[in-house]
Amino acid sequence: MDPSEVEFLAEKEIVKIIPNFSLDKVYLIGGDLGPFNPGLPVDVPVWLALNLKQRQKCRIVPPAWMDVEKLEEMRDLERKEEAFTPVPSPYYMELTKLLLNYASDNIPKADEIRTLVKDIWDTRVAKLRLSADSFISQMEAHAKLDNLTLMEINTIRAFLLDSLNCMYKLRSNLQPGSSKGQFTDY
Amino acid sequence: MDTQSYLPVQPGVGMEENFLSLDDILLSHERLPVRTECAFPRLGFLEKSSDAQDIPEGTKMELPLWLSKGLYEKKRRVLSVELPKVYREGWRTVFNADPNVVDLHKMGPYYYGLGSQMLHFDSPENPEIGQTLLQTFIGRFRRTMDSSQNAYNEDTSALVERLDCLEKTLFKSGQSGLNGFQSWEKGQASQLTASSLVLNYRKRKMTDVQP
Repeated sequence: MDPSEVEFLAEKEIVKIIPNFSLDKVYLIGGDLGPFNPGLPVDVPVWLALNLKQRQKCRIVPPAWMDVEKLEEMRDLERKEEAFTPVPSPYYMELTKLLLNYASDNIPKADEIRTLVKDIWDTRVAKLRLSADSFISQMEAHAKLDNLTLMEINTIRAFLLDSLNCMYKLRSNLQPGSSKGQFTDY
Repeated sequence: MDTQSYLPVQPGVGMEENFLSLDDILLSHERLPVRTECAFPRLGFLEKSSDAQDIPEGTKMELPLWLSKGLYEKKRRVLSVELPKVYREGWRTVFNADPNVVDLHKMGPYYYGLGSQMLHFDSPENPEIGQTLLQTFIGRFRRTMDSSQNAYNEDTSALVERLDCLEKTLFKSGQSGLNGFQSWEKGQASQLTASSLVLNYRKRKMTDVQP
């Protein structure tokens, strides 16, 4: 899976905007998008919010978790805990990148937020690598990973699956007679 | 965005080789020290050290893996294969002590592959060889993971040169995950760039015209 595909999935999340135009309720297959009145906040998916923002038809309200104090608390909690802490949003990395690229004028202290989110990301990825290493070195059969986001899984997926395949084959060397006659399809 | 236009066949890592895999074909060219258990008449040209017409019984020579595997049979006693140096007792203790120190590329670029193939030849040390292979892989995994996931946009030749071919493939897949994420974060994932095939072909006249 590409990072772009993960970003595409992230654009389905709901964010609040304040439009400056008026439009009646729109009925789409995925759901209804409520009537737009200038000055009144309305919930829309991120793809629509970004499109309207680029056409200068709305103002984006940052989500509740995109706040310097809250992110600092989350970062400190993440550093203290050994396991993965609950995330602000299952797509926090993508939403940060999209919103801060297109709507940084609507979000106060954008640079600090970017740094804090990067810190949280680095801590979580380091924990992920540590747990992958202990998974392989102790040759466990399964591992429980709560609170991981799709983007983090995506970056390590190819490497981890390939190395687990290699390890499986090297392990099957130890049991002679069980590996005869295996054919893969191409 | 590095999906390839074709999917190369990967090497079979275990005791079975993949017939169509280039890595396995290159692996099977590795030479093994071998002792003949019966005479090979009129094949003296295979052994360069003596000029005899035949190869007498009990000669020690080197044969490639594909030939040794084909000729080896428990009952008929045509050949007996000795373990190469790297899989013997001495080197095995080195690997068990610290797998990270060893230069696996020098030890034969196909350490894991050849080791798995040696298990076909029913040597009494087979279980230990299998264990050593597995433990070496596990010991070196951490370093391969760290170096592949952290080296972005650098010259990686110093990191890769001590790796075996199997580990090199792992390194590459780790790098591709990292590069994909970094290029997405920089915003390059949504920019249209010319394909490297087209640029290499050098037939694009538009780029010559435009400044």
